[in-house]
Amino acid sequence: MNLFASLSFGAPWILLALIVLPAIWFLLRVTPPLPRRVVFPPLKLLFGLKDEEQTPAGTPWWLMLLRLVAAAAVILALASPQLGRTLELGGNGPVMLVVDNGWTAAAHWQARAGLLREAADLAARKNRAVMLLATADRPDSDLLDAGRTDRAVRALAPRPWLASRSAVLAALGKLHVSKPFEILWLSDGADDGNARALAATLAKLGHLRLFLNHAGLEPLALSGTANTVAGFETGMVRAGSAGARAGSLTVFGEQGQILASAPFRFEDGRNKTAARIALPLEMRNEAASIAVNGEDSAGAVELLDRGAPRRAVGLASGTSNEEPLLSGVYYLERALSPYADLKQGTISELLSRNVSVLILSDIGKIAGADHARVAKFVEDGGLLIRFAGEHTASGTDDLVPVALRAGGRYLGSALAWASPQHLAPFPESSPFGGLAIPPDVTVSRQILAEPSVELSAHSWARLADGTPMVTAAHRGKGWIVQFHVSAAPSWSTLPMSGLYVEMLRRLLTLSTGVDPGELAANATLPAVSVLDGFGRATPATAEAQPIRAGAIASIEPSRQHPPGLYGAPGAERALNAASSGTVLLPLRALGVKPEFYASREALPLQTPLLLLAALLLLGDFVISLILRGYAPNLKRLTGAAALLLVFHGGAARADDAFDMKAALDTRLAYVVTGVADVDAMSRAGLVGLGTALSERTSYVPLEPMGVHLESDDLSFFPLLYWPMDPREKDLSPVALSKIADYMRNGGTLLIDTRDLTLGATRGANNPGEATLRRLLGKLDLPPLAPVPPEHVLTKSFYLISSFPGRWEGGTLWAQALPQGDAPVRGGDGVSPVIIGGNDWAAAWAVDPRGHPLVDVSPGGPAQRELAIRFGINLVMYALTGNYKADQVYVPAILQRLGK
Amino acid sequence: MAALPDSAESLAAALPPLMVRAERLASALTLGMHGRRKAGIGQSFWQFHHYRPGDAAAAIDWRQSAKSQHLYVREREWEAAQTVWLWRDGSPSMRFASGAESKLERASLLALALGVLLVRGGERIALYGEREAPANSRLAYRRIGYALGERAPADDAVPPEVPLPKNAQFVWFGDFLAPLEAIEHAIRRLTRANAGGRLVHIIDPAEEDFPYLGRTRFEAANGGETHTLGRAESVAGAYRTRFKAHAETVALLARKLGWNYTAHRTDRPPLAALVALYADLSGGHRMAG
Repeated sequence: MNLFASLSFGAPWILLALIVLPAIWFLLRVTPPLPRRVVFPPLKLLFGLKDEEQTPAGTPWWLMLLRLVAAAAVILALASPQLGRTLELGGNGPVMLVVDNGWTAAAHWQARAGLLREAADLAARKNRAVMLLATADRPDSDLLDAGRTDRAVRALAPRPWLASRSAVLAALGKLHVSKPFEILWLSDGADDGNARALAATLAKLGHLRLFLNHAGLEPLALSGTANTVAGFETGMVRAGSAGARAGSLTVFGEQGQILASAPFRFEDGRNKTAARIALPLEMRNEAASIAVNGEDSAGAVELLDRGAPRRAVGLASGTSNEEPLLSGVYYLERALSPYADLKQGTISELLSRNVSVLILSDIGKIAGADHARVAKFVEDGGLLIRFAGEHTASGTDDLVPVALRAGGRYLGSALAWASPQHLAPFPESSPFGGLAIPPDVTVSRQILAEPSVELSAHSWARLADGTPMVTAAHRGKGWIVQFHVSAAPSWSTLPMSGLYVEMLRRLLTLSTGVDPGELAANATLPAVSVLDGFGRATPATAEAQPIRAGAIASIEPSRQHPPGLYGAPGAERALNAASSGTVLLPLRALGVKPEFYASREALPLQTPLLLLAALLLLGDFVISLILRGYAPNLKRLTGAAALLLVFHGGAARADDAFDMKAALDTRLAYVVTGVADVDAMSRAGLVGLGTALSERTSYVPLEPMGVHLESDDLSFFPLLYWPMDPREKDLSPVALSKIADYMRNGGTLLIDTRDLTLGATRGANNPGEATLRRLLGKLDLPPLAPVPPEHVLTKSFYLISSFPGRWEGGTLWAQALPQGDAPVRGGDGVSPVIIGGNDWAAAWAVDPRGHPLVDVSPGGPAQRELAIRFGINLVMYALTGNYKADQVYVPAILQRLGK
Repeated sequence: MAALPDSAESLAAALPPLMVRAERLASALTLGMHGRRKAGIGQSFWQFHHYRPGDAAAAIDWRQSAKSQHLYVREREWEAAQTVWLWRDGSPSMRFASGAESKLERASLLALALGVLLVRGGERIALYGEREAPANSRLAYRRIGYALGERAPADDAVPPEVPLPKNAQFVWFGDFLAPLEAIEHAIRRLTRANAGGRLVHIIDPAEEDFPYLGRTRFEAANGGETHTLGRAESVAGAYRTRFKAHAETVALLARKLGWNYTAHRTDRPPLAALVALYADLSGGHRMAG
């Protein structure tokens, strides 16, 4: 009954059409069925026969019912029924919609937006004015008419900052109420401290209804990520602590690629948890953001600072064979290896390997030719970082940012007055600006700079007494940075602190071309991309204002500073919607019975009903076909479909016809060279040879086939004629391996270089031979030898002693015969390749009437006859294999048998 | 290579199914009919008789005459051997089949099997309307088999108007659904050449039994005309009567002109029809010879 109570119709009057159903039933009853069609030869005998009765409607009752149900379904669907409760507005005053639209409301915005639209529609239908108050936007206490309400509701979207209910309270304070409002508060389920006050104020203005998320759908946020040994450790908070809640996090790279994902779980009664994401260090450097899966809100996305991309860093040291813990290179390597590709070696080696950052640990003077190389490296935009040391203390070259005094000074040693110095805070203009200085970093020895006017401008870090600790200077397109302490902890405790790593990372950023001023704490960072309320990155709008670099850690996201990435491209800093200080409080009891968003949406039944009707009609169609005797046809159809499916793969192959043709008869074949006249001659030659074969032998070949080496299957042909022509194209590796397979598996290639055209004066560079070398040079040909007089080719059908074609003379080459007790060869002893230059095809070629096409040279019917005899011998040789060779021994065998 | 257009081998190779069936059918029959071979069908030699005035001088067998005082004439009895002309109706209605085998296939099979039997019995056969002369050889019935099975059959419902040699036997296989006048005209034309003949009426069981039920639209075999019946079973009785009358009319027509009539349903084994037909033909021959 509940189901029917919740059923409503968009166009109920269409239901009146249901009364035509009996009419449809009557019509279906009286219409005679379609006749069966049969072929009947003695039709004339039927003419004039009267059939008094008509076949009554044989439609079975269930088919009738099916059709009626289909018709009813169509009518019901047209009435656009809906299943689900609809909102009802009480009272008759104006409607006030208070919508929380901070990022805390973004996660299940669809449900909120649906309710909002429903309420706005209802108010428009009842002609009631609407006041729309969005807590994350500037409150606007105007009463809106239907059109403006519609626009405002459509424009309403969750914002990437937190809602401010105090602003709404302030706006409501100025409101004068003439008629009590019907108030719907679409809350986000989180308390910002003003919820109770707002509820009290709203309750005074009219009848308040509060809408909440279902339990388990409370807003949650990522509250800062720590970089641990094993990976990221991401803190999470939620509003409320009732019930356990689990889900998963995903780490995305800069291109949106998924790097890792990990589960999280809030235990029952806890509103905080931490998710550990195991991720190797290299991949952590690529991570751009972390997001909660399925929670589309800005708070559930944490953007990570973009550092420098990995750079190639070269490390060179002035001292050799140091103990690890005393070596500067060791500390540099430990500090930089997560962020850079480190290479070690001499300066010239490193520069030849195209490093973009060169770190010299305790090299005072760069020697010889290396000096010029390093100078050029810096001029071209390289970053040179030098650490002081014993060598530096005894004097340096000119590749330093400021002039250095030899010697240096000792602090806190037994004979010194001064105690070890701490670091002074970094200057605002320094690229190290904003880095926290641990109090335990002390410097006990340093080298000093010659005092000069520019010294302070060049100083990026100082000791507490004002002496420079890091100086830097622009040189050409690059930078030279000098640490006035050593890279190892012998001079200071800096290499033992995390500050050392952070300072080096900032310096690596310099090598990407970022101006050091951008890294300074007083730099203003413009917005590069910002998040919308759903946590999607969008290009920065004009509304987003730049942030001072020093303040980005402490600033709260707001309309002016939406969460997103700020700063110079390549070194962006992240401002997140939620930070480690974010606390989400649940909305406590406000003295109003809350309603819930979920299952508020009405389920439209139109589409399912239409689908049902379509299915029923389809079924009716099939049943009618079967009733009229089309069932066998259906069977055949399914059979044909199955056959199509089965043979689809086979049918799709276009060369099946070729394969069938080649496989069903033993045919002569030639290689299609792509040169039209050569191919035509090959074809005519094989036709002529085929005619001779059918006249003289028991082998009757059908018409010859052309074979494309690149695409066709060669395995069907015992013999392939292949004329060489300089115009032929090079073969692909696939074709070459096909030819190799063909020869290995018993095929015979007759290669005709056709070079005897030139007469007997043949050199190594005849066009045909050159082509042969070009085409088949990469192929593993067997050892060749001139065909000896006792070769099977000379006696496989005719006894011949020469192999003329169009030209006479020349040498015919075939696989060298085995010497002595050679092992049995593959291919039945038939040479896989036979090479000559006599242009045989031309000698064999005949026109369609059987007349020779080409004159032979020096000429005469005898030469043509010999050419044909050679052709027949060759075909017999290719077809019969060593059978003919064995015939040689028949007399000897017979003689033995006789004994 | 050269084609061998009309060689017996290629003909035989071209039509295995019909040939094989027909020969198998015929051989099933010859077992029982073997003795008939001596029944008097002409050999090249029949008998000698004394020369009588009036005999052609060329007919004298000089070798025989040289052995004695008399002149002998070799009697060419074999020339009087029967020539049987086979003809099969190839009209579209013959292609109808309610079961597995169409009337056309059954008619072709019977014609060819009869041809095989006749050739084995020494008769000369030919397919009426073909250009080949009657012959008594395997080649003859292979040609007929080729014409019936392989070449597209002519669409004629009645035999074409080509001259028929005198004193021949004519066997007409068909469904006789052409207009009766046309059939009668054809038979009369054939009997003018003094031909004896048989009509073999090939009947599809559906044509005779009319098994259709319900609302049915009947279409002619060559398309075109249709006839729709609301309740086919209601006219079944009337139709069967009509069909029977039609068959009797054809039979009557045949008998009136001195021909025999045999009906054969395609759902019956062909051997029975062949036995009857062959017995009838050879019996008729004996009477004639």
